[in-house]
Amino acid sequence: MTEDIKQPGFRRLVLLTAAMVAFGVGVARAATAGPVTDDIGVLRIPQGAPILVGGSWVQSGPDTALGLNQKRAVEIAMKDLGGKLLGHPLKLDAEDDLCTAEGGQTVATKFAANPQIVVVLGPGCSSAATPGAPILWQVGIVDICTSCTAPKLTAADRKPEYAGFARTVYSDIEQGKADATDAVKMAKAKTVATIHDGSPYAQQLQQVFADNVVAMGGKVVAQEAVAPTDVDMHPVLTRIASAKPDLIYYPLFTAVAAQVSRQAKETPGLEKVKLMGGTSMLSADFIEGAGPSVIGLLFGNPDLSPDAIGKGYSKFVADCKKAYGEAPISGFHANAYDAPTLTVKAIVKVAKPDKDGNLYIGRKAFRDAVFSIRFEGISGPIACDPYGECSQFKPSVLEFTSGDPKTFGIGQNPKKIWP
Amino acid sequence: MSQVLTQPAPQRPPWLAALARVNAVDIVLWLLRIGVVVVVVAGTIGTILKDRYTAAQWVDFVVFGLTIGAIYAQIALGYTMVYGVLRMINFAHGDFVMCGAFAGYFVATPLSRSGFLQDHAVLGMSAILAVSVLTSTTIALLTERIAYRPFRRVSGLAPLICAIGVSFFLEQTFRGMFGSAVKSYPTPAWQAVAFDVFGFHIPRVDVLVIALAIFFMGGLYLIVQRTKMGTAMRAVAEDGEAAALMGIDVNKVVVFTFILGGAMAGIAGVFYAFVYKQVYFYMGFTPGIKAFGAAVLGGIGNIPGAMLGGIFLGMVESIGPTLFLDGLGIPAPYQLRDLIAFTLLIMVLVFRPQGLLGEKMAKKRA
Repeated sequence: MTEDIKQPGFRRLVLLTAAMVAFGVGVARAATAGPVTDDIGVLRIPQGAPILVGGSWVQSGPDTALGLNQKRAVEIAMKDLGGKLLGHPLKLDAEDDLCTAEGGQTVATKFAANPQIVVVLGPGCSSAATPGAPILWQVGIVDICTSCTAPKLTAADRKPEYAGFARTVYSDIEQGKADATDAVKMAKAKTVATIHDGSPYAQQLQQVFADNVVAMGGKVVAQEAVAPTDVDMHPVLTRIASAKPDLIYYPLFTAVAAQVSRQAKETPGLEKVKLMGGTSMLSADFIEGAGPSVIGLLFGNPDLSPDAIGKGYSKFVADCKKAYGEAPISGFHANAYDAPTLTVKAIVKVAKPDKDGNLYIGRKAFRDAVFSIRFEGISGPIACDPYGECSQFKPSVLEFTSGDPKTFGIGQNPKKIWP
Repeated sequence: MSQVLTQPAPQRPPWLAALARVNAVDIVLWLLRIGVVVVVVAGTIGTILKDRYTAAQWVDFVVFGLTIGAIYAQIALGYTMVYGVLRMINFAHGDFVMCGAFAGYFVATPLSRSGFLQDHAVLGMSAILAVSVLTSTTIALLTERIAYRPFRRVSGLAPLICAIGVSFFLEQTFRGMFGSAVKSYPTPAWQAVAFDVFGFHIPRVDVLVIALAIFFMGGLYLIVQRTKMGTAMRAVAEDGEAAALMGIDVNKVVVFTFILGGAMAGIAGVFYAFVYKQVYFYMGFTPGIKAFGAAVLGGIGNIPGAMLGGIFLGMVESIGPTLFLDGLGIPAPYQLRDLIAFTLLIMVLVFRPQGLLGEKMAKKRA
């Protein structure tokens, strides 16, 4: 069994830890175990026991494709990594965070209560990561997020309780800027309206978008909000119609985004207005929900063409088809694939075995390794800055061309229209 | 010689006596009421002065409100009828709506693919409604027989907890059977057309839903008011034990009530899905809660009250954020629509606890 080690002088270390918590610096407890001494704790993995990796993604509800896609990518990566590391099997324990704050909190609490967990990969949603990451770091567990893109999670002024949070996905600072450029320069929109659902992802992204539109000389005529459970968008769309925008930007999740897409086409005054969404809508489920109204819908996405994406992406797609009988069913799979690779490299860098074959991982050392390792991932170069931003963003613009969910395929429907 | 004179204590004027009875809670409640009224009046005046919306857009708000309100009203009828007869809040009623919508989906999709729904709109819609009503009614009856009847004479919260349990059971069963992804109702071309009335653009599907909802609710009202079984329902609602002593088969009445409620749920499910297009296992929860609010607003147990409450709630949701908050300069007011709707609901109940059309219950009923 894996366990945290308590050494003599533990009480003193607890006091030290309490002091650290009081300063908001760190967590857990300093310890020495086997050949490893670490400021916030040492994880001991007995001989033959698995290296346990937590996974937190949405696996039910309308956004299932988003989470399931990333879980699959992580499973493929772990298989590609040989399924074993330093004589220990790699094991993924994936939980459903529902893409909500409550779900993220619950899953993080469950993992935080398990001393065997080395690292948590995911969540896929900023809503889940925002409350979850501090819970994990409180016990010294690093969280490597795979598609939560809210800018505040890796902002320079983020709070100390997020010190254990990193992500192999870009920030929406980049996405919002790229989307604003697409809206103003490519779609020729002079006036835009935005809709968010109050989630950290949508709220922050639409604000970045709006700020950039204004900086480029455009005008933001409305910034509206809906609830994630809303179905009747007609009133809010009628309000927007009264402001006469050229384009509506709504980076929302599947169910609400589908309602906005459908009802915008039915709202007087908005029939011809251009619609632009977010990467959260990249799935066959969204097409199913929105139907033919998706045709012509634009959204920004990382460029997945061979010359823009990292080496190994084509092989990954082939492996995905072979393992699951279908190509990736949503976005962020390349980012998710790179998370276990980063994890394994960090473990290899800091883990030390003893003569009995037990493995010891210093939790702070592991965190520092995650933040210092650089490699070429399949999503592109992975190199974390001091605030946990490890990925780069190469923008592209996609456009849906059919309302038939069976035609979904990244590159086909939606097809890339820029660059 | 000294003389003691006894004089009656001076009587306080009535207004002073009433004032003396005022406590801090009363003051807070009155301030709250005045605050809400000020917000509503000031916001409305501000919005009108801003003149941001055209007449056509106000008509749109009204039509959207009537549409969702008509659906809430139909769902609310199920809550109110069951409460009237059994004094029980059937929290699974929103899930009966979901079951009906799912059943309708499995008919609507092939009919749409084959072109039948487009070419034979009346027949196609009738088939969808029939299957939806049959499914919702069957599930309502099974729920009553299996889950609710054993609790018939149990007091306390057990029946309510049972209803919540049934709600979760139905949601998770449908999730297990049909997946958790959103499914989309078809949009036949005839549905996408709009009427032009006095230059106003009114979507045909909204008109259809409002008209049919009024038709079905009217039919239900006539059944309850004019038929023998409806009279028995009202008798059981008034006093179940007395009705039984008079020879009314209470079990039969309860079953009939669930049949009516299930049928209205099935119809509401199809209408909801045809307007908002999406069906998924959790879709019944939010409209169910709102319809329950509408039933309480109208006066729970009162059928016209449930209809009025539904329409009121729908209209406030649709018009309220724009009319009350836009003029106050509140950004993104639409996200506060539930707050507005339920604040007004509370305000109505503060002034009239029995609801808009509810009667004060006799001691025994209460």
